[in-house]
Amino acid sequence: MYRIRFHGRGGQGMKTASRILGTAFFLEGYEVQDAPRYGAERRGAPIFAYVRADRAPINERGIIRHPDLVIVADDSLVPIPAAGVLAGITDHSLMLINSAEKEQVWKQRLNHSGSILTLPVAADVTERAELPYVGAACAGAAARLIGVISEAALEQAINDELSDLGADIVNKNLHNAVAAYRAMASHAGLVKEGSLVSAVDYEAPDWIDLPFDDARISAPTIHAAATSVLVKTGLWRTQRPVIDFDHCKGCWWICSSYCPDGAINVVDAKPVIDYDHCKGCMVCVAQCPSHAIEAIPEKQAKADEDAMRLEIGEIT
Amino acid sequence: MTDSSDTIRGIKDLPSTHLLGTGTPMCAGCGALEALHVIYDILGSKTVFVNAAGCMTLLSVYPFTPFRGSWLYTAMASAPAGAQGIRDALDILLQQKRITQEEDLEVVVLTGDGAAYGMGLSATSGSMERMLDYIYICYDNEGYGNTGQQYSAATPHAARTSTSHGVSGFAGYKKNLFDIWVAHKPAYVATVIGADPLDLAKKIEKARSMEGPRMIIALSPCPTGWDYDPRETVNIGRLAVKTGVWPLKEYADGEVVHTKIPRQRAPVEEYLKLQGRFAHLFEPERNEVLLAEIQARVDAYWEKVEVAEK
Amino acid sequence: MKRTLLTGNGAAAWAARLAAVDYIPAFPITPQTEIIETLADWIDTGEITGRLVTMESEHSMVTAAGSAAATGVRVFSATSSQGLLYAMEMLYTVSGWRAPFVLANVSRGLSAPITLEPDHNDILAARDSGFLQIHCASCQEVLDSTLMAYRLAEDERIRLPVIVNLDGFYLSFTREPVEIPDADAARQFVGSFDAENIRFRASAPESQAVAVLGGGPYSYFRYETHLAAINGAAVYDEIAEEFSRRFGRKHDAVEAYRADDADYLFVMMGSFASKAREAVDRLREDGWAIGLLRPRLLRPLPVVHLQKLLAKRKAVAVIDQNISMGMGGILHSELASVLYGRNDAPTVLASFIGGLGGRDISTEEFFEMAQSIRQAVETGQTPAPRLLYTQTELREVRKLQAIAQVERQQLGAIDD
Repeated sequence: MYRIRFHGRGGQGMKTASRILGTAFFLEGYEVQDAPRYGAERRGAPIFAYVRADRAPINERGIIRHPDLVIVADDSLVPIPAAGVLAGITDHSLMLINSAEKEQVWKQRLNHSGSILTLPVAADVTERAELPYVGAACAGAAARLIGVISEAALEQAINDELSDLGADIVNKNLHNAVAAYRAMASHAGLVKEGSLVSAVDYEAPDWIDLPFDDARISAPTIHAAATSVLVKTGLWRTQRPVIDFDHCKGCWWICSSYCPDGAINVVDAKPVIDYDHCKGCMVCVAQCPSHAIEAIPEKQAKADEDAMRLEIGEIT
Repeated sequence: MTDSSDTIRGIKDLPSTHLLGTGTPMCAGCGALEALHVIYDILGSKTVFVNAAGCMTLLSVYPFTPFRGSWLYTAMASAPAGAQGIRDALDILLQQKRITQEEDLEVVVLTGDGAAYGMGLSATSGSMERMLDYIYICYDNEGYGNTGQQYSAATPHAARTSTSHGVSGFAGYKKNLFDIWVAHKPAYVATVIGADPLDLAKKIEKARSMEGPRMIIALSPCPTGWDYDPRETVNIGRLAVKTGVWPLKEYADGEVVHTKIPRQRAPVEEYLKLQGRFAHLFEPERNEVLLAEIQARVDAYWEKVEVAEK
Repeated sequence: MKRTLLTGNGAAAWAARLAAVDYIPAFPITPQTEIIETLADWIDTGEITGRLVTMESEHSMVTAAGSAAATGVRVFSATSSQGLLYAMEMLYTVSGWRAPFVLANVSRGLSAPITLEPDHNDILAARDSGFLQIHCASCQEVLDSTLMAYRLAEDERIRLPVIVNLDGFYLSFTREPVEIPDADAARQFVGSFDAENIRFRASAPESQAVAVLGGGPYSYFRYETHLAAINGAAVYDEIAEEFSRRFGRKHDAVEAYRADDADYLFVMMGSFASKAREAVDRLREDGWAIGLLRPRLLRPLPVVHLQKLLAKRKAVAVIDQNISMGMGGILHSELASVLYGRNDAPTVLASFIGGLGGRDISTEEFFEMAQSIRQAVETGQTPAPRLLYTQTELREVRKLQAIAQVERQQLGAIDD
């Protein structure tokens, strides 16, 4: 059985990617399961989708614990534990990361002894409107890595899944997906079907008898204020608003009042953006009357930040 | 920040640091959260928010809450009844001197339009006839947003939703909840929008100074459900007011007063064309009939207002 | 203490009064309405100080009851039948809040067809809601159980809402002699409600009843509620013991009537069980070793008591005043589950459905059920589940159907 997991952000088309791949497998005569996994999170938040395919009917269900292939549509998710990108990864697992960085960099960074490939086709996408196209490219690359899906089946799957969106969008997705499919030619068939769980040699669950906790402990009640600040929604961001204080007129109320998340506070008469929590909606950029807030791609902002910290000796 | 009782006269009086915790799972650019964080700055942490099923159910997901005050999640239909129980219980505790006045809380109901316009309307009506002392905030994103924007009783005519996909969009008309609420003669009713934080803040402050049912509808532009780039949330909200689609008004002492009358109303299509949910009115060709109908309805509303003013 | 004639509804109102409840969200429904009318009256005359608010539905009523309890006051409410079902979403919800209060349910058959008379399908629909359940067989029990219910609900080992069930008409509107405890004694027994750290105060902000994501936390919160309910079995025994010491009336989790040496048992809940008691007396006169078990506590189910009380009997007739469509009597299923795999389980556990919608159960029918299970022991064949229903009754229905112009040829023949 093939077990494939797609990781991305809400809005990047991971559900679409899983459906394209699922349909492509189906067209090749496989039994298939594909499903998105929803949480409470919204556009920009980490989500995942998965596909199972087998020649025999599939009895497994739910999340994939040990994937044969993990596709990461957005490399900024890899280090986020909550995104679960690395969950259940073994030497057997192949990782495909949509990243401008080299494969060797990722291998070292993740200390992963299995294979890692980067996806060179779907380059950085910063415009939100472009995000859905990433999904199709991921599905295309995955199809080739698996090696049992023909280009024709991939194209048919994209047509089937996206026909409602109109010819323009279908064509753009076809273009991206086929390009990604072809780019993976030298790695065709690299993904190997994973083994089934053995009933002999397995790790027993560490069951416990749940102890009774009285309601002071066990009611679904939070006995504290504003614990949500522990959730770093800044990770949702693909673009970063940056204030140019040479142009900021210090009106202070506009960006701060309009920021839906209350992530801009005024400190010493200057607006300060809380990047741990700014989700990157860019309302502040659109509203600043003196155009003193600029949107820059998050990746570039991170690179600049690292360069700066390197310069002042914070990191080596 | 916070529980200041200073009167808000101008924009400079708006809070510059914010009380509602960051890190909520609301969508980037959420127009409802934009309104809520200003409202929370004014109402402060001596509040208990009573929530109904909707997008904002997920404001508090164990163990994370953005509230510095209190919160109770109830169910879709009965948040005002939850408010009744809390208000009555606090009054009983005060009366029996089991708590001091310092421990009292303002009870605030928070629901989406699905609950406010539909399932929860009976409970809301009941709370008003009982003259319950509370504030009701409806974040109105004109559809069942949390489930993927199916049409609700608050969906405007012709809007495309995930259950009104046809060429003409939603066949029905947005229910007039403001007038339904006003018919109950509560203490206060107001429409607000996050894109006009000053008008919003003034109204919330006014509501806070009153007793009895104080009812607020916040039109809440929704990038996910209305299909637009999140950066446009405030622009769209502002256009809702400028085109006259969303009249800013309040009811108190038997009178309805418009707090902002757009004298030079922009054509409604300026508002509509920014939103994917109305794209079918412009492409592949303009639907002149529907556009004219929507404009005519807005014009008719304001003609009545002008006549009444004279 | 005084002894007087009270209806079941009057007894429920008296118990709320003796428990010094702070808050009563209400909604009228037959045959419960007299409870809230009585309480409203006392509030109007100043005899009690509680606050009663009539809501616009039972759904809202239970929401307000839960949210007031979650704010830290003692709450009483009452409903019946359709009202309980209308509130069903909130029953599950407020027990999950761990909001302790007492709800009287006056049992009445469910629609459709709509009826006013009692059976237990309404209360049993709430079986899995997280409310504990006490089922009463007399007006005295209604009063006593309600006082005990506050102790159960507010005990820190439990902290869950409790339903006290009384049958419509047969208790709700029926007057019987009831001993009303002195206010002080009752107050001492019930104690005061300490909401501990689950309540709303400005100085200690908290978010109650928040959402969870994922099966791990959800399973924890739900199972803890189950463990709290399970605790109710032992806590109930303690409370019943204390109640007996203070007031001289013992209300066991399972009433065992003339059961000690019985080979045969009737098992049933609610007020019709007193008819079974009567039948037991008559059968005993005729030499039968027969008795009655009546579970008062249905949630938590007093499993250990039941296993002990049912052990080594020859045969048991379970009479359910309810029906799970497509399965049969609910108490029968529960007892089968309690007994499964036990070596000392009775060989015959027969199921009878009777008393639906207030349909009477005659003493002769009890005799016949006794015969039926004795015969089953002799033949080794457990009888098929039986609805207590007579030819006469079917004939009467046929007459009604004729007037309703049901197609004549569709009606089956009746043997005269």
